[in-house]
Amino acid sequence: MDEKKALLQVEDLRTYFHTEDGVVKAVDGVTFEVFPGETLGIVGESGCGKSVTSLSIMRLLDEKGEIAGGKISFDGEDVLAIPESKMMKIRGNDMAMIFQEPMTALNPVFTIGFQIMEAILLHQDVDEKKAREMAIDMLKKVGIPEPEKRIDEYPHELSGGMRQRAMIAMSLSCNPKLLFADEPTTALDVTIQAQILELMKSLQDQYGMALVMITHDLGVIAEMAQRVVVMYAGKVVEYADVHTLFKNPRHPYTWGLMNAIPKLDEDKEVLYNIPGVVPDPLDFPDGCRFNTRCPLATDKCRKEEPPLVEIENEHTAACWHIDRLIETIKVSRAGESA
Amino acid sequence: MPKKRKSEFRKVMKKYWTNGTAVLGTCLLFFFIVIAIFAPQIAGVNEMGDNYQIPRASWSSKPIAPSAEHPFGVIGGRDVFYGVIWGTRTAFRLGLIITSFAALIGVIVGSISAYFGGWVDEILMRITDIFLSIPFLVAAMVMTTILGKGLDKVIIALIIFGWMSTARLIRGNILQAREEQYVLAAKALGQKDWVIIIKHILPNTIFPVVVQMSMRIGSYVITAAGLSFLGVGAEPGYADWGTILSFSRNWMTMLDQSWFAIVFPGTAMVLFVLAWNLVGDALRDIFDPRMRS
Amino acid sequence: MTAYIIRRLLLLPLIMIGVTLIIFTMIWALGPDRLLASYVKSPEALKTPDAAERLIKKYGLDEPMPVQYLKWLGNIIQGDFGYSMVGKKGVLPSMLERFPYTLELTIYAIVPVVLVAIWLGVISAVNQNKFSDQFIRVFALVGWSLPDFVFGLLLLLVFYSILGWFPPGMVSTQFDLVMRTAEWKTITSMPTIDALLNGRLDIFIDALRHIILPVLTLAYLWWAYLLRITRSSMLEVLRKDYIRTARAKGVPERIVIKKHAKRNAMIPVITVAGGSVMGLLGGTVFVETIFSRVGMGRFLADAASLLDYWSIIGGALFFSFIMVVGNLVVDVSYALVDPRIRLE
Repeated sequence: MDEKKALLQVEDLRTYFHTEDGVVKAVDGVTFEVFPGETLGIVGESGCGKSVTSLSIMRLLDEKGEIAGGKISFDGEDVLAIPESKMMKIRGNDMAMIFQEPMTALNPVFTIGFQIMEAILLHQDVDEKKAREMAIDMLKKVGIPEPEKRIDEYPHELSGGMRQRAMIAMSLSCNPKLLFADEPTTALDVTIQAQILELMKSLQDQYGMALVMITHDLGVIAEMAQRVVVMYAGKVVEYADVHTLFKNPRHPYTWGLMNAIPKLDEDKEVLYNIPGVVPDPLDFPDGCRFNTRCPLATDKCRKEEPPLVEIENEHTAACWHIDRLIETIKVSRAGESA
Repeated sequence: MPKKRKSEFRKVMKKYWTNGTAVLGTCLLFFFIVIAIFAPQIAGVNEMGDNYQIPRASWSSKPIAPSAEHPFGVIGGRDVFYGVIWGTRTAFRLGLIITSFAALIGVIVGSISAYFGGWVDEILMRITDIFLSIPFLVAAMVMTTILGKGLDKVIIALIIFGWMSTARLIRGNILQAREEQYVLAAKALGQKDWVIIIKHILPNTIFPVVVQMSMRIGSYVITAAGLSFLGVGAEPGYADWGTILSFSRNWMTMLDQSWFAIVFPGTAMVLFVLAWNLVGDALRDIFDPRMRS
Repeated sequence: MTAYIIRRLLLLPLIMIGVTLIIFTMIWALGPDRLLASYVKSPEALKTPDAAERLIKKYGLDEPMPVQYLKWLGNIIQGDFGYSMVGKKGVLPSMLERFPYTLELTIYAIVPVVLVAIWLGVISAVNQNKFSDQFIRVFALVGWSLPDFVFGLLLLLVFYSILGWFPPGMVSTQFDLVMRTAEWKTITSMPTIDALLNGRLDIFIDALRHIILPVLTLAYLWWAYLLRITRSSMLEVLRKDYIRTARAKGVPERIVIKKHAKRNAMIPVITVAGGSVMGLLGGTVFVETIFSRVGMGRFLADAASLLDYWSIIGGALFFSFIMVVGNLVVDVSYALVDPRIRLE
């Protein structure tokens, strides 16, 4: 067990949305920790609740959403108990977020310089001149050429990759302890993706912040994360460090995700994909939520929800048939190497 | 047991009928429809023949305050009650005829413009701009001055200058819909152009037009009444809310004597337009998220 | 951006020509006989049977339409709009002397319309579906349904006929006489302003008393419309991603609303605000008629009832011109406010 104290502790978080069609239990009992300076990956298909989790932690939910239960502790403080005025001081300052689509996430009528400086002026005790210098410096750090010129440009004048860099600059301008990155590269070209990820890694080295990388892409996880939370239908199904996860997945869903990645050295005729679709969030199945798509599902899975059990040191998974999964994986891997 | 999501239609109905203002608007509308249908029973008929001419109640020009015999009073020698009741029919006629034809012209012009694009679009839109450059009321006044008094002239005038906003609306919607994925997909499948328009584009662009139409009905009735008030609309003595109001012009400095000529037709006008606006507003709220998607 | 402005400026005369064409066509459709009535100042001229024919020839009323149109257009460009029965002089001079009164009315009306509507629209959107929003919405909806002339009549009924506080007209009779004396300096032709410039506070207050009801009537219809537009624009903006980003930065909510949301929400509102100013001018027809004021609106109304065709044409051209110029100004300011358009 690590002696370091966790920077962020999320315990049994439940976030529900009250829509006219019913209650959507987007996050239904999620628990994990983030330590200072590390990268935690949260992976899952769209609709599994990974974005809502981070929005809940930053208390950025819209009116329909409410945090229905659980505890969130950041830097020793109970995030859910503090008043909004205090939360505003934390946002952008100690905790920051970058979003998927930089074109819509940046305000079109303000220059990027203004938007970065706004964050600086809000949380730091500097004058405008200094803030501008700091903003230009930030732009340089994120690899935007000619920052003195770019600082006065509007979002639509920049390319997609530049915009995302600008967003990163904006979120890091106050040196937060924790950065949430919600699908930061999904909307970008593959080549730019790699650059942005590189940038984030190097900035993390420089600034020492903790990073929560939210993505559906296992490749990004493999590249960036030290520990991983796998989410499905609002619940955590597996939780481990990244090497263990890829070497010894212990949940059928994780295994399914990995199989779905085509490998360069393989020559499959038919690409594997997990059968079925993500269940309707208004109407999750009874028992294990993955049972409708799981090749190993039995009656028990359809009736009783499996708890998260610790398989080995700091590796937990929620499945009734982990032993059968291990067998299946052994057989499949033996077949591959044959 | 898996819960069934409500069907789209039932969802729409529920949203509509739980909206207080929508219910109010619909009730008001219903109320007016009943009055219009039963006008002969409620206010009687004009023995002389043309029911739309308010029968003379007195030969003096002095306004007579409301009484048991004339519940809404007498102005310009005409019974206001009769005028207000039969005026309901006039209002429906005006509103529905003008709106339908103006919308029809607008949809045709806008669709052609959007479909053909290029210089056809450019020219049609410039023509629309030109028509839009003359303030609606002013244009209507010029037209009715030329065409002469009478309700049918008012209808023509308002149709001629009322189609532009519908044209722009449907053109914008079609242009937007054309770029939508489902249209491109249909095209890629080899679907013919006109089938695409009718099957895919029109259903998604027609709803905003319907919403706009219901909002415009009220405004056309008001403009027509305004024209009558100024003396360039229906002939004096016609069963129209505006013409009743125009009688009060003779009593401007003594409005307390002719208040009923303002209050009763005025109230009728407000409630009528309010009804259409509430219904249109509710329709827009319902279709809004759909229009967005 | 400059290319955009130039293109719009070039379109302006073309559109005006289109407008003149439409208006002229309508009048020409009257036919030579009815048109003749507006040329003939007294019935005597038509006494002889062939007089009508002679006069039709004299005024060129039997020539083909394009010829008549071009002749007329030529006159317009030189400033000859024909004779006005309403003004008892040329149409253009009649309009020019009435314009300041309408301008005064409009200026006083714009301020309450724009400020109140935008202010309430923002409140309404931010407090969506709460009581204040519902209340404001109902208020605006009723406003949208009550025609301006009915509202004006009701105001006149209550505040003049019953209460006697605010009379119709421009100024009280005794002050009117003062304004006709030689000592009176008519600088702007607007009673309230001129009263101040002439140092007569009493006349200023009197003129204000007379202008209050008309201003309220004029402003009110567009106020309701503008409020709805502001509200819906604001609602849309509040749903956008960049609002969430601003909150994620820790920007206090009231700054999110005032700065981030409002700047974006105002962009479409400006267009409508501009358009509503144009509509205000159209509303002057009723307002000036009901409140017995002098002005362009009254001019048009009187011309319509007298069948004074040249005055009607002149009035219609005038209002259209303001509309076209106004639209241009709105488009340009739209480009100024939205950097996405500005830099295209």
